[in-house]
Amino acid sequence: MAFFGRVGADISHETRNTLSIIGEYAGLLNDLLAMAEKGKPPDYEKLKGISAKIAKQVRRGTESMERFSRFAHAADERAASCDLTALARNVAALAQRRVALAGCRLEVKLPDRMLPVAANPFILQQAVFSAIELMLEFQEAGAVVTIKVLAEASTAVITISGNAPVAGSELADQVSQLTAIMKELQGSVDAHRAEGVLSLALSVPIQ
Amino acid sequence: MEQPKILIVDDEEDLTSTMVERLELRGFQVEATTSGIDALKRVSETDFGVLILDVKMPGIDGLQLMAEIKRQHLDLPVILLTGHGSAADAERGVTEGAFDYLMKPIALETLVEKIRSAIGSKEGSKS
Repeated sequence: MAFFGRVGADISHETRNTLSIIGEYAGLLNDLLAMAEKGKPPDYEKLKGISAKIAKQVRRGTESMERFSRFAHAADERAASCDLTALARNVAALAQRRVALAGCRLEVKLPDRMLPVAANPFILQQAVFSAIELMLEFQEAGAVVTIKVLAEASTAVITISGNAPVAGSELADQVSQLTAIMKELQGSVDAHRAEGVLSLALSVPIQ
Repeated sequence: MEQPKILIVDDEEDLTSTMVERLELRGFQVEATTSGIDALKRVSETDFGVLILDVKMPGIDGLQLMAEIKRQHLDLPVILLTGHGSAADAERGVTEGAFDYLMKPIALETLVEKIRSAIGSKEGSKS
């Protein structure tokens, strides 16, 4: 539930920002109309620009709602399979604001095809989101966190990588929480540190 | 009488640019930035009358920024903007020295009232 709450809070924040911008543009249109009523001729190019910016924010809000809808519907299902490519894309989009607040950038490298895996989508979402959050804890501003999906024989692997932390014990504790989530999926997690790069590879069986 | 300058700090550039334009139409002098670090620089260079800070921003967030600024400019009134459903962070900000806070989406006329009260409080504390 805590995971659901964190994602919900991020979406709510994104929605409030989007609505704020739309509200300000609507207010600006009112201001300009009030000036036109007092005799200042309207600048039609400016009005067109504001209209386009409102439309852009409506698209942003719609995309955000669609992402949340996909996320929330995964919780409804007692599904035993899902498309890892689509799931990774959605979780990466949901995590964007969290990544931005940490001053980092998210790079997403996904296959251009579906990758059906035998895993409950809601638990897998939680695992991927938790792995991104864990990775962010060790990153400094300006770091790039990468999400990559690969198929290896009968296993699909989603790897989250970034700069390696200096201390090791804390990492072991937190990876153990991720391991518990992956066990529910009959999957596994492998934390690998080499040449300054930390990788968390989450493996699940291909369907 | 010349209006005191206002600085808006929020990582949503579309929001800050529109707020600047609307506040300027109401006679205020306004600057905006999307970066907390840039805000610190501007506050050290310009005598602002009011700061409007978003609570959640990449890098240095609104509450950290306020604490940093208050070290040098204790009397500078800060109005916090929060996009969170819970106002807990903003309320904490008020206990830590913010003049007031508003939940997004804001009504500009409410913000204008808060700005005028904040300016009044600063003038009052000088006399």
